[in-house]
Amino acid sequence: MDWNCLLTEDRLSDFLDGVLSTEEARAFSAHCSGCARCGPLVAQIGGLVKEMQSLGPVEEPPQLVARILHLTLGPRASRQGLRRRLAWVPRIWEPQFAMGVVTVAASFFMVFHSVGGGTNHLRRTNLNPVNMIRAIDRQAHLSYARAAKFVNDLRVVYEIESRLQPQPERPSEPSPRPEPPPEEKLLPPSPDPEQESRNPRPVGDSLPRNLLAALLERTSPGTGSVRATWSSR
Amino acid sequence: MEPDAQLVQLCVRGDGPAWEKLVRRHARRVFSLCYRFTSNRAEAEDLSQEVFLRIYRTLSSYRPADGAFPTWLASVTRNLLVDHYRRTRRDRLTDSIDDDVAKLERMRSPERAPDRLAEAAELSVQLQHGLARLSPELREAVILRDLAGLDYAEIRLILQVAEGTVKSRINRGRIELARVLGEMGLRRP
Repeated sequence: MDWNCLLTEDRLSDFLDGVLSTEEARAFSAHCSGCARCGPLVAQIGGLVKEMQSLGPVEEPPQLVARILHLTLGPRASRQGLRRRLAWVPRIWEPQFAMGVVTVAASFFMVFHSVGGGTNHLRRTNLNPVNMIRAIDRQAHLSYARAAKFVNDLRVVYEIESRLQPQPERPSEPSPRPEPPPEEKLLPPSPDPEQESRNPRPVGDSLPRNLLAALLERTSPGTGSVRATWSSR
Repeated sequence: MEPDAQLVQLCVRGDGPAWEKLVRRHARRVFSLCYRFTSNRAEAEDLSQEVFLRIYRTLSSYRPADGAFPTWLASVTRNLLVDHYRRTRRDRLTDSIDDDVAKLERMRSPERAPDRLAEAAELSVQLQHGLARLSPELREAVILRDLAGLDYAEIRLILQVAEGTVKSRINRGRIELARVLGEMGLRRP
């Protein structure tokens, strides 16, 4: 069979695919073995085709499938959405969550108890907002009155205690006063006890004044500095 | 594993998970075709999305008697590639594979041990350079035959041309590719 370079190029793929007849294949091979151009060409194309066929597909970007599904099915609200909505369930067993729940429950219990609605006599009327506000108001006033009574009692006790304490006698001759302890330094000289007994002040009046004077003495040379600080603000 | 035709039927009835399976099964094939043709990963990704969007809308028109699902998929992909090629013909140059050249340089660096994976990657990049220089008719024929592994009958269905034309294009495409690679100095003629 007569074969030439043009025929070799035309039938090259048929040869590589193995679809040439036996006679054609023999003529093809015979030409290539003697032709300086066709021999290397066939070897090169054969190698290239083999290499191409050995290559796998190009890997797609990782987000491609998700994007396609998003485009076609929309935002995926099926399983993942449900899973996201129930994600808080396992967190119940975390210590912080449990502590939070216990603290909130204890706060509610304390508030409820202080309002006067004990768990023993809980009725529907207790849950009426008007009754609850009234109960809270009453409880607040009671608490304030108790606190005021307690402070007044303390004042009376302090007053009685201070009167029962023996006053140090004043020496007849002027002598150097013994150095008072550091905390006494802050207090101004106590008023004359006789004058005090003649003209008694109301209970509790003397203490705050003395305290205020002591505080002023401690913080000053003058209240101007304090005022300057405030004004400078 | 369910056959494609069965999944397609489920998809037509509105079965989301069946569609997801179909997408996962064929995404790589579609992307690979697009990338081999465009030589650009971003374009290939956009085109792949477009392909699946079109498939999703026209899924009910698929008839298993007309051919296998992958052939139909390749046909839709090819049509979109042709549209894309026509659309972008003016502003397209061969600069889109520059990032691959950089990768190729990294692969050739001496600190990287020459292993089979690197060799395959290098070959893949070289081929991409060569394919980018082919005319679209020859390029698609070579890609469908030698890289996508389709037979002549399937390619004839996809390209809608006579089988003789398919054979001729594949043959000419291979010879042209070898010549181009040789000219680029990537492969000895």
